[in-house]
Amino acid sequence: MSDDLDPLRRARPDRLQPDDPIDPAVLSDERERFMSTIDQTGTGPGTERRTPSIYPRLAYRDEVAALEYLTRVFGFREWRESRMEHSTGMLAWLEVGDGVVMIGRAGREHHDISSPADAGAITCMVNVYVDNVDAHYARAAAEGARIVMPLEDMFWGDRRYEALDLEGHRWHFGERLSHVRERLDES
Amino acid sequence: MERSDAEPSDAAVIAASFADPAAFATIFDRHAATLLRFLVRRVGPDAADGLVGESFRIAFERRSSFDCSRANARPWLYGIATNVLAKHGRAEARRFAALARLPRPSADAPDDQVIDQVAAHELWPRVAATIAALPPGERDALLLYAWEDLGYEDIAAALGIPVGTVRSRLNRARRRLRQVREPEEAGGEQPSTHSEDRGRIGQ
Repeated sequence: MSDDLDPLRRARPDRLQPDDPIDPAVLSDERERFMSTIDQTGTGPGTERRTPSIYPRLAYRDEVAALEYLTRVFGFREWRESRMEHSTGMLAWLEVGDGVVMIGRAGREHHDISSPADAGAITCMVNVYVDNVDAHYARAAAEGARIVMPLEDMFWGDRRYEALDLEGHRWHFGERLSHVRERLDES
Repeated sequence: MERSDAEPSDAAVIAASFADPAAFATIFDRHAATLLRFLVRRVGPDAADGLVGESFRIAFERRSSFDCSRANARPWLYGIATNVLAKHGRAEARRFAALARLPRPSADAPDDQVIDQVAAHELWPRVAATIAALPPGERDALLLYAWEDLGYEDIAAALGIPVGTVRSRLNRARRRLRQVREPEEAGGEQPSTHSEDRGRIGQ
């Protein structure tokens, strides 16, 4: 192939600096780490990721900081391959159990969704069931979540707590009391 | 990598990996070196550390989204690695800035190679600046084409965009690069930093 992109082809970094080959140890280390994650995944058919029929989109002044916060403090898992980065902001999808929330930048040009930090009010609470609300609470509290309702057994059959995230979105984390009892019986 | 007909296609290996996840190691062995070279070219060896593993972990998790009518998984893997790179825009900008300052090649290489390399070096700082300023979608398509030797169809599959969009992105990127070589003709058009939608894998 020879055309107007030849200067770019010749300038490929490994052609400019051919004496810098890839260290084979890098690949064998990566392979080992990769295989260890596969083994944990176990057998069975791969589950196609499916966005649930209803999923909220939350807005943040700093959506990049929010992504870091929500994964670190609340343990959400990002669909990394879905992330979209624009010069005007980032969109990310966060999964917990079979639910998904989407986060993006706040503002008029972003569907006119506000961050509570700008609006001065919370207009919704996102309710999340987790596998072990005690562990979840401990982690969130240790990582600096603002706990606004302490962990407590509620009359309707949930054990729950509520927390505000870095920009004041309100999150409700719960576990069915029956599930809590099963969990405690097993341990 | 050359494979005899007796060896299963990537599609067959991926299909087998649903019952036996460890089979996916074959996909790693066939494509990891290529993907690592791609990642190092884009962000440099330090920032690329760990990205090949991250790309394969995503590929493994998303293997049910692989289109098994395609025998070769490489374009799909390039697409996943490209999305992983999207988080490392700053590392890539630093990479291009560092590449633009690479020292000239020593003179003990064969003559024609030296000439070739010197020519590349003289243009390179400006090429690097232009590439660094490209909208991400154009840069992704351009570098898959010029550095990874992927065809239009494979780039379209990798980025999850129509072939026509690949063509228009490459045309726009080439127009900007042409101005590097013909600076006297470069009018007011500056490389735009406006980014269009990135291709999303399997959405």
